[in-house]
Amino acid sequence: MIRLRVIAGAEWRYWLRSRLVLGSALLMAGLLLATTAVTTLRMQGEAAERTHHQDKAEAAFLAQPARHPHRMVHYGHYVFRTPTPLAGFDPGLDPVTGQSIFLEGHRQNTPMFAPSGASADLGGFSWLSPAMVYQLFGPLLVILLGHGLIAREREAGTLATLLAQGAPGRLLLAGKAAALLSVIVLMSLPLALSAALAVRDGDPPLAAVALVGVYLLYLSIWGALALLASALLRRRTAVLAALATLWVVLTLVLPAVAVSATSNAAPMAGKLETDLVMLSDLRKLGDGYNVNDPAFARLRAELLAEHGVQRVEDLPVNLRGLVAQASEQKLTDTLNTYARAQMAAETRQAIVLASHGWFTPLLAVADASRALAGTDLAHHHRFLQEAEALRFAFVQGLNRVHAEKLSFSDDIRRSSDAQAEARTRVDASHWRLLDRFVFEPDAAGSRLARSQSQWLMLCAWFAVLVGAGAWVGGRLKP
Amino acid sequence: MGRRTVEAMSARSASASVWSALRREAAFLARDRSAWAWWLVVLFLSVLAVSAGLNEVHRQKATIAHLVEADRAERMAVLKTRKEWSAVYHSFHLTYDPPSEFAFAALGRRDDAAWKHRVRMLALEGQIHERDAGHPVLALVGRFDFAFFAAFVLPLVLIVLLHGLRAGERVAGRHDLLVATAAGDSGRLWRLRAGLRATVVFSAAVLPLVVAAGLSGTAAPTLLAACALLFAYVLFWTLVCAVLAAWQQTAEVILAALVALWILLGVVVPAAGRIAIDRTVPMPSGADIVMTQREAVNAGWDLPKANTMAAFVERHPQWAAYTAVERPFEWKWYFAFQQVGDQKAQALSEAYTDGRMERDRLAGWLALIAPPVLLERALQVLARTDVRASLAYEARVRDFHASLREFYYPKLFRDDRLEPAALEGLPEFSPRAAGR
Amino acid sequence: MNPSVTSLAHMPKLQAEQLRVLRSGKEVLSGVSFNVAGGEVYGLLGGNGAGKSTTLAAFLGFVPAASGRVVVDGLDVGSDLAAARRAMAYLPEAASLYEHLDARENLDYFLQLADMRCSADEIDLALDRVSLGAEARGLKLRSYSKGMRQKVAIALAILRDTGILLLDEPTSGLDPTAIDEFHGLVRGLADAGKAILMVTHDVYGACQVADRIGLLRGGQLVAQFEAPPGGRIDTETVHRAFSPRAAA
Repeated sequence: MIRLRVIAGAEWRYWLRSRLVLGSALLMAGLLLATTAVTTLRMQGEAAERTHHQDKAEAAFLAQPARHPHRMVHYGHYVFRTPTPLAGFDPGLDPVTGQSIFLEGHRQNTPMFAPSGASADLGGFSWLSPAMVYQLFGPLLVILLGHGLIAREREAGTLATLLAQGAPGRLLLAGKAAALLSVIVLMSLPLALSAALAVRDGDPPLAAVALVGVYLLYLSIWGALALLASALLRRRTAVLAALATLWVVLTLVLPAVAVSATSNAAPMAGKLETDLVMLSDLRKLGDGYNVNDPAFARLRAELLAEHGVQRVEDLPVNLRGLVAQASEQKLTDTLNTYARAQMAAETRQAIVLASHGWFTPLLAVADASRALAGTDLAHHHRFLQEAEALRFAFVQGLNRVHAEKLSFSDDIRRSSDAQAEARTRVDASHWRLLDRFVFEPDAAGSRLARSQSQWLMLCAWFAVLVGAGAWVGGRLKP
Repeated sequence: MGRRTVEAMSARSASASVWSALRREAAFLARDRSAWAWWLVVLFLSVLAVSAGLNEVHRQKATIAHLVEADRAERMAVLKTRKEWSAVYHSFHLTYDPPSEFAFAALGRRDDAAWKHRVRMLALEGQIHERDAGHPVLALVGRFDFAFFAAFVLPLVLIVLLHGLRAGERVAGRHDLLVATAAGDSGRLWRLRAGLRATVVFSAAVLPLVVAAGLSGTAAPTLLAACALLFAYVLFWTLVCAVLAAWQQTAEVILAALVALWILLGVVVPAAGRIAIDRTVPMPSGADIVMTQREAVNAGWDLPKANTMAAFVERHPQWAAYTAVERPFEWKWYFAFQQVGDQKAQALSEAYTDGRMERDRLAGWLALIAPPVLLERALQVLARTDVRASLAYEARVRDFHASLREFYYPKLFRDDRLEPAALEGLPEFSPRAAGR
Repeated sequence: MNPSVTSLAHMPKLQAEQLRVLRSGKEVLSGVSFNVAGGEVYGLLGGNGAGKSTTLAAFLGFVPAASGRVVVDGLDVGSDLAAARRAMAYLPEAASLYEHLDARENLDYFLQLADMRCSADEIDLALDRVSLGAEARGLKLRSYSKGMRQKVAIALAILRDTGILLLDEPTSGLDPTAIDEFHGLVRGLADAGKAILMVTHDVYGACQVADRIGLLRGGQLVAQFEAPPGGRIDTETVHRAFSPRAAA
């Protein structure tokens, strides 16, 4: 134990005296601080703006004057997705997905206005976030610190001295690993700070801790890679070149190649294509505006029988409202079937992409990070589903008002008779049926559960590398 | 024997010695196995990048072909089941932006900006911002296209290959012997070595591009421009590497400095620049545009119909004589307030478009100090997958939507009955002819 | 001895005149003057940090002279570096060549670098002269011992066929037989008219082969020794001057 500390301490002394190491660590710290500040401010700004828009949209809906309830179905409503506090660390899908949806009757709209669509286009790396700094550039610092761990001793001839003095190779590696690990822990302090702030702002502590943990594991994998390369290759320059190459391949090339491979392996039809198929399905449902549409004949017959009347005008309820309700129900069932299929296809594609995490820890850590920060695909899907639930609730609420508060005869004459039209307007107090929309991110448990396979991948990487390290340590030669 | 003869002789021998030096270094390099490995890697990655691009372009073309068919069938079905203006209300029209012949090299905005829309004759502002973009996770991670490979991966390959040009020889103890032995200017040795390595990297990268361009029928000037850009870019990084490699430092310091420079130019400057540009050019929030448009359209139901028609006539004076609306609901009034909804949102919408244009213009200037972004953007311009191309497509959708209105308005206002035959001249969206 | 009085026939091939060299502001050579004529082996002796390697570096133009000058074959290194370098062959301390090439390929490459072409026979002849085993010539240098590498490097110096040879600690790390062989070779080259400057800390070796020896200490030339005609420099004398305490 003491020897372990001595070995690790010697490494620290070397680092503290190396201007290269200190300079790079300072650069990294600066980059982290800057991105953390900028991203946190941006996401807080986004959160405030979206909350403000959400309030405005709700106020606008409630402030509508008395009118025909179906008008409100088309007036519609907007919902906005507010980001989690941890999104300040990893905005995840936020920049590439639309953040607001227009909800109206008979349609499920796509989210609009992704920030990436309006921003200055300066390449993918211009969306630099603290998470990206850790994912992409954290490994570089680890490489810079770790490449010389053994190779430097070997070049200087001190490795032979150390081994000759009876320090077992494994102990030497363990001491070096301990030194590197302490740096990695130090490196994740800014992340821990962001996580602590996010917890203060309401994110679950478990998710925040897991987020710190997953990055520790990721950087440790790179530390193990650096240590292994340092122990296996003879020259320091060769170690550095090999690790730099590995970094290019694992963090730049493979993830992008995985994207191309995924869109080949699990192709996904676009929304327009599925919409076209869906529309032909929808046509079979009947026209919800036409009470005489044969699709609603049965509803009509049943109602007439139930109330013992002959004519729809004599029903105590407005058939048009009921037809609208029934038609919206059937329509929504179909829409949801397709929406579910689309989400399933997206999830499938995401899973295929995620499975490439076995080949590059970057994809694994990025997936886990998004899941834990509440900015992943599942959260986006849940936002869509909750928006849809809200849409269906207020549309059907309005259709119920339509059925119960309006007379059928006024309703059918309102396009041609101004007085009848005036009688079809209902009081604005009915608009209060709209629910407040608050998007609650997942609890820590389900976020963790979703990052399970990523943890598995990272642990497997780590275990294999540690195993290899133990093997190499037993055979360490000067 | 004059002095001049001696000079002429030495000039001739100088050019001969450049040639023989080139042959010497080429033969030397041919024996370096690690260099070969790198060129194979570059060749492999380049092939991977262009084939992924070709694949994606092929898929997008197939999607468009399929959509064109499905869209026609769908409109036919609508016209069969709906009557008159209800049919018009329910008819969507496909618009799309086909990938150019060079799009395979730089897929650019096509990953996260819409390149296909179906629009109908309602207020356009409510429709044009709909996104039928691809998979968000895939868009976030980013595709491996040639532009990304060339702009970001290639410089790193050059850095790994060239950083140890001198420091490596110094560590191996050969540096002084090489310099002391080299005839004439010893700097030429390093320039030759760097130049040769970079040349081979360049050709390994460009070869698959040329082949793929041939396969997809890229116009020669486009391909030439792309090759010239790539050449200039490789030259830039080679010079940077050569300058830093001459630094009297260890290989690791030089490598770290070069990678730091790559991060600065490829990541930090663009990231800071994007934030600065977005701050400098404020834009209306998208939510405001659609909300304004919705308020305007919905207010149309409640406002006196004369107000709506008056606002409509401001832009379409030719229909001033036909604006009388007698019944509580008439189609011409309905479509008129859709138009007025667009008119109300126009200022915001134009500001939104102008903002995107201006941000892109500034991004173009900023790219001058961030070469990786400059190359990526330049390739996207050549491939017509840049922001401007995406905005141009949006403008074409607007034009098409306007032509739909121009087509229907005479029928709407003259109260023509809408016979199926009347739909003969229905405008069809024509994507810009390929090849500009 | 006054350098300005040397006759034209014995014009020195290497001259250092009041050479001062600074390295990061510190004076490492202060006013060193000596010269080496054709046919002569000059041994530059000194302990670690005495300024031996810096003197060589000054002749090769790797470090500039702060004052004074170095002249190679009548050419001022400060103003005519390329031509001066063409006139010298240099044998660096750890004679490192390319590991992934064999002996012939290495020689071929470095000769071309010097703008020379030698036939395969000429190369083989030079390798014979340094007595590198024929079976080793086709092997990559990474399988060579230190002595074998040294031989290839000397063959290069021979093939360069320059009038001047600079040797930096040429015998360090060689076994005694190899050292003897090497000294014989150096003597032979000098007898053929070459001017040879050999930097070393090996008193015994220097005395064996050198015609004259200069002793460097703290950046100054503190003593010179000359061999009597037909004889050798007395090792004992030099050793006493080199490390007075050990000798006492």
